[in-house]
Amino acid sequence: MGDTEVGTGLRAALRAYIEEAFLYLHPDVELADDDEFLALGVIDSLGFVELVEEVQTRYGIAVDALEITEENFGSLDALVAFVERRRGE
Amino acid sequence: MCGIAGIVRADLEAPVPLDALRRMAGALRHRGPDGWGMARTPGAGLVSTRLAIFDVPGGWQPMRGERGSLLVYNGEVYNHPELRAQLGSELATTSDTEVVLRLLERDGLRALDRLNGQFAFAWWEPAARRLTLVRDRFGVRPLHWAVLPDGGIVFGSEAKALFASGEVVAEPDLAGIDETFTLWGPRAPRSAFRGVAQLPPGGLLVWEDGAIVARRTWWEPDYDPDVFAARAAGTAPAARVATAGVPNAEELPDLLTDAVRLRLRADVPVGTYLSGGLDSSLITALAQQASDHELRTFSVAFHDARYDERAFQQQVAQALGTRHHVVEIGPREIADGFRDAVAHAETPLIRTAPVPLMLLARATREHGITVVATGEGADELYWGYDLFKETAVRELHTCDPERATALLDQLYPYLDVPAERRGPAWARSFFEAGSADDPLFSHQPRIAATGIVRAFYRPEVAHALASNGGDPLARLRADLPPAFGRWSALERAAYLELTTLLAPNLLAAQGDRVAMAHGVEGRFPFLDHRVFEHSVRLPPERKLGPGLCEKAELRALAARLLPAEVAARTKQPYRAPEVAPFFGDQAPGWVEERLEARALDDVGLFDPVRVEGLLRRCRTGKASGFREGMALVGILSTQVWHERFCGVGTGAGAEWPAESTEPRILLDAAERITSQ
Repeated sequence: MGDTEVGTGLRAALRAYIEEAFLYLHPDVELADDDEFLALGVIDSLGFVELVEEVQTRYGIAVDALEITEENFGSLDALVAFVERRRGE
Repeated sequence: MCGIAGIVRADLEAPVPLDALRRMAGALRHRGPDGWGMARTPGAGLVSTRLAIFDVPGGWQPMRGERGSLLVYNGEVYNHPELRAQLGSELATTSDTEVVLRLLERDGLRALDRLNGQFAFAWWEPAARRLTLVRDRFGVRPLHWAVLPDGGIVFGSEAKALFASGEVVAEPDLAGIDETFTLWGPRAPRSAFRGVAQLPPGGLLVWEDGAIVARRTWWEPDYDPDVFAARAAGTAPAARVATAGVPNAEELPDLLTDAVRLRLRADVPVGTYLSGGLDSSLITALAQQASDHELRTFSVAFHDARYDERAFQQQVAQALGTRHHVVEIGPREIADGFRDAVAHAETPLIRTAPVPLMLLARATREHGITVVATGEGADELYWGYDLFKETAVRELHTCDPERATALLDQLYPYLDVPAERRGPAWARSFFEAGSADDPLFSHQPRIAATGIVRAFYRPEVAHALASNGGDPLARLRADLPPAFGRWSALERAAYLELTTLLAPNLLAAQGDRVAMAHGVEGRFPFLDHRVFEHSVRLPPERKLGPGLCEKAELRALAARLLPAEVAARTKQPYRAPEVAPFFGDQAPGWVEERLEARALDDVGLFDPVRVEGLLRRCRTGKASGFREGMALVGILSTQVWHERFCGVGTGAGAEWPAESTEPRILLDAAERITSQ
């Protein structure tokens, strides 16, 4: 996935958001970049809705309904890749 | 309409101190600001605080019957004039209390089926040493009780009367609190206090000479019309409508008109609460038709436009020509009223919504009105809540996912996020929320959302709950009636709404308690049991109509009585701001105090690390979702509730001030009889 400087900043910002918005309820969890939010239980399906909204608002990305998948939003790695790809378009 | 309380001892010789009875009356004086009364017989004492509505000069309690039994009674039986006429003999007062007492002395508990009203009472027969506690069909009026170490019983409209007696110590009941954070209220017989039980809606308890000899329900909701038809045939209540078959279109207008007419009966002026929605507007229109004086209407308006419905309220008030009053609610009012609302509710809350209603009651009383009719109950009877639409759509999803997804997009027009942006993540959260085989299918999305509060428990609390057989949903499933499996998905949803939300929350923390906080009595025409039984006979499409149009049968009536825009309005849930009132420059200091780590440790329920994470989001304005709002209100109210009830006193009741005025009635047989 090769972090660029922009990517590192993006990754840090997204991690900070995930930690601030969701991980406070899971103080024992050390989230790895490729951990799956839903499988790990740190974000439930309603939290997933909030996450999608936040990404849309924060990065000004219009997310198409069909793009709202675990492949695009399911982990930190997935999120970074998705946002980078959409911002690069 | 009043507060009631009392103590009966297993031992005839054991004293029931006047001080304890005075403290119990003092604890319930808000429910009965017009005066109080007391009665003692050997080993027993009863008190009543009175809000005078029928027979203002005459109807004081406790009331003694011809056969020597005593009644303390909270609420109203609306068909008391009809019942009085059937009694035939001369009655001493014009109050409904006396009618109920005469019927009980004549017919015993068979009399209950004849009562159309909302009531809770304690009937004491000294000769038999028998205490009977009864609560109305839907649980409009509260009644709490506890068994004493000697086998006696202490009871009261509110739990505070039990604590004031000095016989019961206020301690948290973890399971009751956990039910609140699952289903929005403790489910009777449980309360939020250990050892304090609530009589269930439609429930009765008989205690005789030191032992409970009966505990059962005398009425239960059912969705088989034949059940009620059979019951009606046996008791012949004063219903003007048919009790079997599919109702014709004129039945509801006749029945609802009659239910409203009965509920306007009072020897004091009455008003209505007007939310601006269909149900309260309809009740207001019918009340205006039936009322012989200018009807007063009372409404909550919010500074925050997302919650505000004032335009609709004014439209209805103008169209009907009522004298309209508005209470303006901003964040400050919610923060300032929050602790009082919790003290009256006697349970942790998950919404701030009771606070504005408490302030509305205060304003209503300030305008000289002590009785209000409201639209409560219509959403449960005619499937008005979003939950019913969700259930229909989720059920459809099991056989037609595409159509269900399209329908889902039509739901929640009032949400901040438009349907096109919610997308499949939203849809999936919905459709995967629970299996269609689960009896609680309809409620799983709400339960899942509410569960966020439980995620803040300290690990040892979560562990203690889990190891004490603590799944509140398993308990609920086990308690469902045998007929439940025969009902449709929407009927099951309606039953669960009636029994797990309406009675424990909407009629309690958000109903009776906050209205009675200021001595205002709510009356609910839709909760006339005849109206309920009629709604059961309606085919499903006359409730949730085609195209997910809710309350179809009511809309047809509303179209004749209300401005077109109001009659056609989609339901907007009543909500109040949850996070904003408690943070920022205007926030009162006690909020952060109650939520700091030491205070959380004192109560021992919530984990300070997790709570601090939530507070960071609240302070920075990021906690905007409804789930975090629920979490904050749940945690804060628990902290406030614990401080108010469990953090003080020794259990001897000394912190509860005794009623200092003289009783309006005093039937004291204790000394005379014991000295014989």
